[in-house]
This record gives sequence, structure tokens and C-alpha cells, in this order.
Amino acid sequence: MRAERANLFHLIEPLLPLVEHPARYLDHEWGACEEQDGPFHLCMVYADVYEVGQPNLGVAILYNQVNAQEGMSCERCYLPWKDLSELMRERGVPLLSLEGSAPLASFDAIGFTLAHELIATNVLETLDLAGIALTSSARDEDDPIILAGGPSAWNCEPLAEVFDAVLLGDGEESIVEVCACIRDARAEGVSREELLRRLALVPGTYVPSLYDLCIDETSTRWGYAVPREGVGAPAVVCKRCVQDFAATPAVAQRIVPYTGIVQDRLSLEVLRGCARGCRFCQAGMTYRPVRERPVDQVVECGVRGLLESGHNEISLSSLSTTDHSQCEQILNGFNHALAGNGVRVSIPSQRLDSFGVDMAAAVAGGRRGGLTFAPEAGSQRLRDVINKNVTEDDLESAARNAFEAGWRRMKLYFMMGLPTETDEDIVGIARMAERVLEIGREVVGRGPKSGVSVSISVAVLVPKAFTPFQWCGQLDPDEVRRRQQLLLHEVRDRAIRVSYHDADVSLVEGALSKMGRAGFPLVRRAWELGCRFDAWTSEFRFDLWEEAARDCGFDLVDLACEEFPLSARLPWEHTSPGVDKGFLQREWLRATRGVTTSDCTRSSCVGCGVCPTLGVSNVIQGVRA
Amino acid sequence: MSDRQQTQPVSARPQDLPVKADLARLRVRYHKDSRLAFLGHLDLISTVERCVRRSGLPFSIGNGFARRMRIQFSSALPTGTSSACEYFDVRLLEAVDPAEALERLRAATPPALAPYEAGYVPGRLPALEAWLDHAAWEATLLGEGLDAGTLLDGIERVRAGGVITYLRGEKEKTVDVAATLAGVSALGGEVGSVSLRIETRSVASASLRPQVLLDAALARADLPRPQLVRIRRVGQWHMEDGRLVEPLGPFGANAPAPLS
Repeated sequence: MRAERANLFHLIEPLLPLVEHPARYLDHEWGACEEQDGPFHLCMVYADVYEVGQPNLGVAILYNQVNAQEGMSCERCYLPWKDLSELMRERGVPLLSLEGSAPLASFDAIGFTLAHELIATNVLETLDLAGIALTSSARDEDDPIILAGGPSAWNCEPLAEVFDAVLLGDGEESIVEVCACIRDARAEGVSREELLRRLALVPGTYVPSLYDLCIDETSTRWGYAVPREGVGAPAVVCKRCVQDFAATPAVAQRIVPYTGIVQDRLSLEVLRGCARGCRFCQAGMTYRPVRERPVDQVVECGVRGLLESGHNEISLSSLSTTDHSQCEQILNGFNHALAGNGVRVSIPSQRLDSFGVDMAAAVAGGRRGGLTFAPEAGSQRLRDVINKNVTEDDLESAARNAFEAGWRRMKLYFMMGLPTETDEDIVGIARMAERVLEIGREVVGRGPKSGVSVSISVAVLVPKAFTPFQWCGQLDPDEVRRRQQLLLHEVRDRAIRVSYHDADVSLVEGALSKMGRAGFPLVRRAWELGCRFDAWTSEFRFDLWEEAARDCGFDLVDLACEEFPLSARLPWEHTSPGVDKGFLQREWLRATRGVTTSDCTRSSCVGCGVCPTLGVSNVIQGVRA
Repeated sequence: MSDRQQTQPVSARPQDLPVKADLARLRVRYHKDSRLAFLGHLDLISTVERCVRRSGLPFSIGNGFARRMRIQFSSALPTGTSSACEYFDVRLLEAVDPAEALERLRAATPPALAPYEAGYVPGRLPALEAWLDHAAWEATLLGEGLDAGTLLDGIERVRAGGVITYLRGEKEKTVDVAATLAGVSALGGEVGSVSLRIETRSVASASLRPQVLLDAALARADLPRPQLVRIRRVGQWHMEDGRLVEPLGPFGANAPAPLS
């Protein structure tokens, strides 16, 4: 039953002196939308603590979009840390929104951002704390409509029973249409089932309860979803895509937090999409096409955003900022406009060539912290397999360039468990790090005071839906550990630091990325056993995940490491980011042969299918180098 | 960038950069109210810095590696304590009329941290945190079975004991009550509550937190734990030759003479 809308901050206030970091729960930040008159109320939820959720750009964009609508209000909610949720349960206090301190269960709709797979148990924790039924089928007629979206919605099947509807692709327009649809259906007094059927007609909206699962010889063990007869839901739900990206506001973050958050800076999305075509990268496939903002908009809005927010740092975010055709003009523009204000400009990802180093130098001013590159694999052969179009020469000249420009610390990102990987490729990671270190010592000097160091960070490949590696199994965790040890033994210089991802965390992430709808009992059981905040190293409980898997008759290694036949219907094929399955199959075959594919923003079309399917095209402001 | 936003010249020669002592030193008194009492000191510092940036005042930044704003704060309030008298000093590249500066800051600050007073102070005064060595607090304790007389007796017994030893997190702390407690008196309170005014002075070793004093006194007086304790800092001063100098002046010999 729908809870009554009321401000219940007085129930939380007495708990604040008893918990860590009470500033997480204060609200009333500069820029927060205090007017929450509705009458339609949406609450956007990032199911992690405030510091982690508040910097999320997706939530900020949708918050502004909905609050700009006449008659619609949007509030925020984050998951309280364990100390507070324990006290809330003890005293019967339900989960509240930030702005209005209203019970989550009183909202018309609740929107979850699925930023990564490991947030799954936190979604259940949020609903439970709010007193809302965990599954769509168990909800009452007037309960809030539970929505989801975001990067991990590309395989949302393990949580499909939880959500009433999932918004695929860019949410700017669709969130408003979905809210309007819910509002109108409620006003007409139609049943919840009819409301969900109407939602399925809003383009880009997947309503899981309207689909049945079929398992046959064409599918994997998870089967595939087909719309129930007569409900009018599309056989394949295509994502939404904002073609005129430059027409959307460049600065979405208006809320200035009181407390230190993980990315405590103004963020400006300079471009959306990336067509480099790295074969492991889900974002690279699902955010196509590439759409750049013009330089004038970026600089003008960035400078205004800094002045209005008071931030002293601006991050030019995107999947690959240095690929922006006007990157140099943008950085020059900021340097000119912000000189002497003590404002830093940062670029999250560096391109692996001299241009990348030049751009890093342009934003660093006189400062030289560390510089990060992502060669991803230790040999040219393997880099060709994953379509990371960089050569040994690129890396060496970028490293030389960076050491000459004054940097001393270099960080290199790699992956382990890539298809066709051998011990030679792992040893290659160590050799590459040594080569970079050697270049540094050649340029800077060999003495202990030269300060040259290299750190390498090695993640485990988790094959993701809608990538050319979606058919691959994940590398067995025991083998992951063996290769990690091999790498550690190969690195002999103490100036090289090695860090790597926990094999068990990656295994759970892999299982969640691969499972179909029948995987929900595992998530639910893990949550029942006490799994929360799985993305926090300190909180991750592999023993509980293993126990949950046993209770459900699953084996985590079996789930994550299963290979799917290239011809099989995959559990997520009733949703589509616009990329053709034929293109992904082709890319997989090219990967196995070590043949690379070019970037369509720099050469001709590679036939991924996004533009004709979605009726969109790349928008490049200048000429890409 | 708006016209009023000043930019500090970038110079390769350190001798050309502005020197702190030559810059106008604007002192601002502000509140810390309602739920923002739960804002920790580090969070408060970054919040106020952002307010100053939003205000468009011609703030100066330091010449160090990190290029930080030249701003200093009065001593940290315990988290959960509100205040009517917090201060910060910000160095400006040029003196803006204090009334205008105050107006700009108010327009750029959340109401719960609103500035109430601003004025220029001599550039060479010591840093605020060390200089403001006297404070007054009001504490209100809500709950059954409390009475002011017994609580004051408890405080006297704590004072007679000389020091309080208490745990802050896992660390044991000791504070010299005789040196840090300057005075305490009962204020008129409503039924079911007790209100006290507590005056403290800071010494080099440790400062006295009113909550710590109250906890010790409640234990000594064998009083029940209150349901809620609200503490507010209501005044901060500098003591010089027996005179209590107001943070915004007058200073030195112009400060009012001691009452007794």
C-alpha cells in the first residue's frame, strides 16, 4: 500500500549523533531542488552511500529533466550506511528521500541507477528498507512503480523480477515520457497491469513482466524472453538515443555537496559515445554513436558552472575525452579563462600517444602528479585481439614524452583473462612495465632520487552483454590467481608496483553479468544472507555468495565461466543498444584471428548497425586526429 | 567569466606574486544552524570556500603547489554543535566595501551557514584559531529528572577533581578543567529541560568540550542521561591584558577595559 507523503526528518535527526558521517544525510545542499510540490513525485535512487552516488552524472541529468517539468518533482535517495540502516530497522524508521524527507514508499515512481552489476544486493536492501515488495508481482495496485536504467541495464535479467520497467539508453527524454505515462494512467485509474502495458509502448522501455521465458535448443540454459501474446510489448526493445546531444545542458551537476564525495568536482560531459571498438568494452558498444559538444559550449558552460557552483576543479568527462576533435581548443579555452583562479581541469582518461601527453601537460600547468595509460594487454598480438589499436611504439613514445615533460610516476592499466591469452602475454605485461621504467631512467636518470616509478593495475576481464566477447566464459578464478602470481614473479624491479583485482569479486561480477532471469534467486539469497555493498572491498563476503549459490543449486564458477555458442539466442537479446548481432559475431571472429577494426570517426563506417537502426549518426565538431 | 570576477596574475617570478600580509583581510562572522550542525570541520571548510568562490569576491590564492584559497577559520566545532559566532578570514586582492562583501556572501551561502557581519581586520593579527581563546556556550539538556542545581554541583565536583579523562574514539584524552573552565551558570529553562551557560578558555594542551564536561558532571551528580543535549557556541573572544577583545574589534588599547 502506498505510504502517506510527509516530512519525517524528525525520525532521522535523533539518529544522526549515533552514526558515522552524519553529513551524508543532511540534504539542503546548494543547488538542490527544494521545491518538491509535485503533484507527480519521482525519487531517483543510487543504491550506495551518498559519497558514491552523488557524483553520478546520470542521476543529475534525470533530476534536472524531471524537475524542469510542470507538475513533476524529482528527489534523491542514497542507501544509508549499515550503522544507520540498523538503527532505522530497530526503530521502525522507513527509508526517506533527501529533499522532502518523505518515505520512499510514498512516491509515484522510484528510479534506480544500475551503475554496475555489484549493486544488485543494494537494490534489494533499498526496497526492503523502504518497505516496498522486492518483486514486481508482489506489489500492490497503488505501490510505487519501480524503474531502472543505466549502464548495467544491458543485462538486467537477474533483476528483471524486481523492476516494473527498465529504461534503455539515453534517459533525458524517456524519463519524462515514462513519468507522464504513469501520471496519466494513475489519473485515469487504470489497473497496475494496464499501466505496465502502457509503459511498454513508450519507446525504449522494457517491461519484464510482459515477457515469458522460453528455453529451447536455440537458446542457452537461461532461455530468451518473448512478449506475451496480446500485451503489445515489442519483441526487441531498442534503446533511446539523443541525436542532438549539444542541445542538452552541458553542465548537469547543480548540487554542490557539503561533504567530500568520491569525485568532488564539477563534471562536464564533453562527448557521448566512443567508436574505438575495444572488444571488451560494453560502454563502447552501447553508447554509440559518437556525439561531441562544440568547443564554445564546453568552455562557456564550464566556466559558468564553476562560478555558479564554487567548485575548484572541473572534470571533462566522457569515454575518451582526448578523442574530442576540438580537445586542444577546449583545454586552451579553459586555461585562458581560468588562469590564476586556482581551478584545476582534469581529464579522466588519457589517450595512449604523444597527443595524450600534450593534453595532459596542457591541463597540468606546473603540476606533475601521476600519468595513467591503458595498454590493456601485454603483447601486440593480444592488443590486436581486443582491438586496442595502439602499438609498442605508441606506448614508448608516449612514455618518453611524459618523462621528458616532467612526469615521474606512470600508471598502466591491464586486463587478465582476455580470450586467447597465454603466459607469454602475462610475462609481456611485466616486460612492458620494465621498458617504461627503463625509458624513465634513461630520460631522468638512474639515481634513487630520480623518483621514477611505474605501477601496474591488472583487472580481470568480465565478459559483458553486447560486446564481441559476450560469448566468452570468464577465466577460472584459480587460473586468475596463478597468472597473478606469475606476473608478480616476473616483476623484479622494486620501482614497479603491482596491484590486481580480487578474483572472487570478479567472479561474482561475472556471474551477475551472464545470468538470465532465473539467476534472481541467487541475488535474493545473497541479500538474505547479509550481502550488502558488494563493491566495497571491506564489505564483500565471498563466503556468503558461495553459500547463496549452494542454496540455489548454482556454482559461481560454472555461472561465470560458461561459454555460449556463437549461434545461441542470448538471455538479453530482447533488448538492443542498436548494435547488430552480426557485427558482434564478426568482431568476435576477427578477434580470434587477431584482425583489428578501425574507428568510424576516423575512417569509414565499420557496419556496427547503430546509425541505420536508430536513425542517428556521429556528430564530430572538427576533424579527429 | 563575469566582469566582477578578478583573476590573480600568474607570474613566473615569486617576488611579483601578492604577499599575504599586504592583502586586505576580511573577517566574516557566520552561523552554523539547524541540521548543518552535523557538518564536520573539513566539510565546513570546503563548503565555505565554495561559497566564497560563488560570491565572486576577489579572493587571493596562495603561492604554494596546491594553489589554495587564502582563508582561515576559527577553531573546529564538535560535530553536532551549532553556533551563532563562527568566523573566517579571507584575503582579498582588493578591499571591497564590507557591506557589499557581506551581501555577496549571503547570496552565495546556504541559509544555515549565513554570514551576519563582515569587516576588515589588521593583516598581521595572529591566525583566528589560536587568537580566539575564549568561548561561551549554551547547553540545553532535555529529559526527566534533571535539575540545574544538582548539575551545577556535579560540575563543581568535576572542577574540584582537576582533570577529566575520557575516550575520544579509541584514544584516551585528558583535559585540565581548572585551567579551561572559566565559568558556568544556570539559565532559565522550561519544564523538563535544564539550560546552562558555560565559558571556556583554550590552553595549549587541550580545549574543553562542553559535552565532555556535561557527561562527567552527569556521572558525578548521578543524574539520568538526558534524552537530547543541544549545544550552541554563542561567543568567541580574544583575551588580552584582561580585556575581552571582540573578533571584529576594536583591537589593542581601543578594546573595552575589563569590567573588574
